[in-house]
Amino acid sequence: MDLFPSTSRILRYLRGMNAENVKEWKIELTYRADFIRGMLEPLIFVFPFVLFAMSLMGGRTSSVLEGLTGVSDGITYTIIGYIFMGFLNTAVWGMGFALRKEQWYGTLESIFVAPVPRWVYVLGMALHSTVHQGIILFFQILVVYVLFGVILNVQGVLPVLVFIALMLISLVGLGLMVSGLALIFKEGWIVSEVLYSLITIVTPIAYPLAVLPPLLQKISLTMPTTYAITGIRHFLIDENMGVGLLDSYSRLIIIGVCWIITGLLIFQIVDRKVRREGTLAEY
Amino acid sequence: MDLAPEHAIIAKGVVKTFRKKGRRKYGIGPKITPDELIYAVNGVDLTVRRGELFGLLGPNGAGKTTLVKCLSTLLLPNKGTAIISGHDIINDPIAARECIGITTGGERTLYWKLSGRDNLRYFAALYGLSSEEADRRISYLMKIMGLEDRQYERIEKYSTGMRQKVSISRALIHDPPVLLLDEPTLGLDPSFSRFIRSFIKKDLNQKQKKTIILTTHYMDEADQLCDRIAIMNEGKIVAVDTPEVLKRRIPQDEVLEVRCLGHADFSGIGQRVYADSVEGVTIYRIHAENVEDIMSQVIQAAHSAKILSMNVTKPTLEDVFIHLTGARLTGEDNEQ
Ligand SMILES: Nc1ncnc2c1ncn2[C@@H]1O[C@H](COP(=O)(O)OP(=O)(O)O)[C@@H](O)[C@H]1O
Ligand SMILES: [Mg+2]
Repeated sequence: MDLFPSTSRILRYLRGMNAENVKEWKIELTYRADFIRGMLEPLIFVFPFVLFAMSLMGGRTSSVLEGLTGVSDGITYTIIGYIFMGFLNTAVWGMGFALRKEQWYGTLESIFVAPVPRWVYVLGMALHSTVHQGIILFFQILVVYVLFGVILNVQGVLPVLVFIALMLISLVGLGLMVSGLALIFKEGWIVSEVLYSLITIVTPIAYPLAVLPPLLQKISLTMPTTYAITGIRHFLIDENMGVGLLDSYSRLIIIGVCWIITGLLIFQIVDRKVRREGTLAEY
Repeated sequence: MDLAPEHAIIAKGVVKTFRKKGRRKYGIGPKITPDELIYAVNGVDLTVRRGELFGLLGPNGAGKTTLVKCLSTLLLPNKGTAIISGHDIINDPIAARECIGITTGGERTLYWKLSGRDNLRYFAALYGLSSEEADRRISYLMKIMGLEDRQYERIEKYSTGMRQKVSISRALIHDPPVLLLDEPTLGLDPSFSRFIRSFIKKDLNQKQKKTIILTTHYMDEADQLCDRIAIMNEGKIVAVDTPEVLKRRIPQDEVLEVRCLGHADFSGIGQRVYADSVEGVTIYRIHAENVEDIMSQVIQAAHSAKILSMNVTKPTLEDVFIHLTGARLTGEDNEQ
């Protein structure tokens, strides 16, 4: 691996990432119906969550929830958790399938002969999916504001953005892992599906950490999404943070670095395997 | 850095094996024995001079594409390496890729949902061109390829030949010193083939002095275009020389080409007989010092097979290939 690239190479890698992002938008916008569906679907998916929570609590508020988290409004609690988890989608499906998609198109070899490392494409895709998810997030907040009158603390936006950025470090790592694995496993979507389910189960999206069995609670504390979602809710709707702010930020950074390193390692191993066995052009 | 400046491409002992299909799918199972391996490239040494148009000629499955993929860093050789414009493909693949433009076969190597121009813009960025540089370069390439009118249309609306022109433009986007063109005229209409061949020879090689490796299984293409040809068979290079010298390896001056319906036994006539069949017509190429001496023998030996035509020709590269590899020898055991 090229650990210390020259400045001209770095410039090229950045150009490559941006080009990947732009190309993805262009291709995506040619499928107009799919694009609109992709934007609307997450909005529709919000409702079962919300209605499920309401029916269990027999209304919008719950004193039990308040006792556990400091937030009584279950609807807002769940919705915030749900919509910010959208970034997990971008990692396991967007970034994760960056290279697999090229394999489907038939363009994988064309891009692999270009003088940029393979991770440039995954990072370019990360750029694209993050912007894409940001737009969806904006509309989701708008919709839930109109429908449920969810009000958020506007002054909390800055620390929330920091939480999102730090969570994205881990998610890029996850994206690298999945995109590597998706190249060698024909049924790569199973990898995505499994990781997605595991992470969502142990992340306090619709329920607080306290209701999880002790083992899952321990696992939950190793997930970046746990700190990010709790932190985001803390600043937007005053959820109690189990872990202090600086502690949360530093744990996110540590987990992020670990996931990135794991991602790069898996990616590197898969890349060598694929170049040895010559399975690049197959799909 | 550059040890042999007159050589743009040096390959040393390149070996590339593949597993036979269906073996050890996820890397588990009994150990692989050598006979379960396909030696797609089996110890290739090659030097291509700067500015040379070098042909890799061989039938399907000879290992041409695999060799090109090794040189372009898409595949990792099991053994050996190559130096492209002074850069080792294994130690510094990124630097090697900077110097290479490549067209790999197949129409799907472009984004069908994007226009020709947008495709090239994307690849230009991957090769580090700024957007002004890219615009200038793309306009130039679209112009010489005669695609100016269609550049804003999606690739899916292009013909096969037009797609190949865009693929070649993509290979040229960063103006690389070395080009690897894998079967550039495969499946193209004659008019496109003619354009591409003359573009490769006149523009790229003669004017722009590019170093080119061109693979083909068309004997004529190699003969017309290439300064030197490596004849490849079953992963090995069996001969390298100029087309003229290669053809002189066949001692006879003349070849009698006989086209028959059905099979005839011409063995023992002339020096050697090569047979091939195309759409039910068997074509025998009988090599002799003087074909007039053997005419009557040929007509007698034809018996029941109906002779459609007889021509006197010169040995071709095809004859050289058969001579060197022993493939498709004599009437009876002709492998068609
Ligand atoms: N990825 C692969 N896996 C297994 N066998 C392969 C693979 N790629 C090529 N081969 C085999 O290697 C040999 C050489 O193929 P190739 O390089 O495509 O030849 P050519 O380009 O001269 O037609 C063939 O027998 C082919 O079946
Ligand atoms: Mg080939």
